[in-house]
Amino acid sequence: MPREIHPGIHWIQEFGPDRPGIAKSLLDRGAHWYRPGREIHVPQNAFLFAGEQTLLFDTLSPAATDRILTDLEAVLDGRALDYLALSHPDVPHAGNTFRILERHPGAKLVAPGFGRTHELYHLEDAHKVGPGDSLDLGGKRLHFHDAAFLDAAMSMWMTEETSGMLLPVDWMGLPLMDGEGLLFADEFRSPVDEDRYAEFHGRVMFWLRYVDVARTQKEIDLVLETYRPRMIASAHGPVIRADVPHYFEMMKEVVERVATGGRTGVL
Amino acid sequence: MDRVGRERLAGLERGSGFVSTIQRARGPAASVPLTHDVSWIAENYPLGEGRNVHVSVFLIRAEEQNILIDSGSFYHRESLVRRISGVTAGEGIHSLILSHSDYPHSGNIPAFRRRWGDFEIVASSGEPEIQGLPYARRSRIGGSLEVAGRQIDFLDPPLADRSHTSWIYDRASRVLFVADGFGYHHAEDETGLTSRQLPDGFRSEEIYTFHRDTLIWLRYADPPVLMGVLREIFAEREVSWVAPIHGNPIAAEHLDDYLERLEAGVRRIVGEQAV
Ligand SMILES: [Fe+2]
Ligand SMILES: [Fe+2]
Ligand SMILES: [Fe+2]
Ligand SMILES: [Fe+2]
Repeated sequence: MPREIHPGIHWIQEFGPDRPGIAKSLLDRGAHWYRPGREIHVPQNAFLFAGEQTLLFDTLSPAATDRILTDLEAVLDGRALDYLALSHPDVPHAGNTFRILERHPGAKLVAPGFGRTHELYHLEDAHKVGPGDSLDLGGKRLHFHDAAFLDAAMSMWMTEETSGMLLPVDWMGLPLMDGEGLLFADEFRSPVDEDRYAEFHGRVMFWLRYVDVARTQKEIDLVLETYRPRMIASAHGPVIRADVPHYFEMMKEVVERVATGGRTGVL
Repeated sequence: MDRVGRERLAGLERGSGFVSTIQRARGPAASVPLTHDVSWIAENYPLGEGRNVHVSVFLIRAEEQNILIDSGSFYHRESLVRRISGVTAGEGIHSLILSHSDYPHSGNIPAFRRRWGDFEIVASSGEPEIQGLPYARRSRIGGSLEVAGRQIDFLDPPLADRSHTSWIYDRASRVLFVADGFGYHHAEDETGLTSRQLPDGFRSEEIYTFHRDTLIWLRYADPPVLMGVLREIFAEREVSWVAPIHGNPIAAEHLDDYLERLEAGVRRIVGEQAV
């Protein structure tokens, strides 16, 4: 079941399959937070913003079509879906786009405006947004941004004004153990620390292996300064609702660790 | 395989009728031979303002089987089906090795399987289900597999966007298929030309614009580290051709020239986008 993380903002999660390969590598390197025998999952998150109008940010993966359709129905509770926004057209984020639009034919598709290859994703008719663009849902106000840390070039981040929420998509995710679905970072009983973030980013942002550490860390400071987020809602991590700067410091550590230690694997 | 299963990858697909209405004019040759059994099936996508990008596939005609590298974009589906059928004398595909699941690389898998049967898919995803490929045979980055009788190595790609991307090295032909690496914004009349056929070789500007617009993370790159790892890949193995999905194939003798221009391009991106 979805979780309301701020009045009118709902968190929908695909917990994902057990990932014994990741568990084994955690065991092999003696990751301090990992308990032998526990399952490891890499979640996919989608978020529903409900003001006077509604917007869904991302669609979950094709393995979770039923989940997204069912959970969406539950949180909409009879209301219409007005917008479906895609952070980027990656299969695990966008793979249910047309299934959702089939179910909610009145919803307007919103996609990152970056680049000139929208036709190659069937996104030529989407409403394209980028830095400087906003959407007022009535009681919820969304702003679209360039993604600072990303995989696909055609990507965007989003902020929501009333909650102070930043949605950094593929950034700030981490692997979960069983029982850790839909928990705020401050509710975890196991540590949520830089080692855990590094395990994820050493896979998804393998390119951190090739970066200038100081410059990349400076960008993290800039993200914090620019958005001053009070909440973080990543597509692959726990939602953070307190002490955001502390987590940004961890992410600076992560850059250093992947740049010096290399990639941790694949996702 | 049930129909729903096949369609899962195609979450972003519409009916196939839609595709035919957007088919564009064809590139020149049906296929361009790189080695005696590897050929390039070049497709062009115009970006406007005189810039174009290839969204191609490659075909290995192994002993008795045909291996396709990537599936191309649904935008070029009809042309690809026609040309693959032509080049293989109607045999079609027996195996497909996927560099990564981004739609312009993976978008024709369901359609090709409907046409040529449920051929083998080899993909390097950590979790094929999540990538919409529940039926894929998994390759591991850093590992090797025998595919249709060929020894294939899967390399960790320094130039890529998605985490699960691998570069694909065919030991027999020594062709290195590099997915989103080594791309180029070519001029329209350079469509379908290899580095041996480009009248004036590669231009630095279009190597730069491709990387600036495609691999956004390069703005954070440490050029010596990145270029060092790249050059190591070519020091460790003999490469006859570098075969990019989004560029003009680079013959061994033109690789150093490309790498020099690439290094300059990366330095320019870093310089222009410094925090
Ligand atoms: Fe992604
Ligand atoms: Fe992701
Ligand atoms: Fe890609
Ligand atoms: Fe690509």
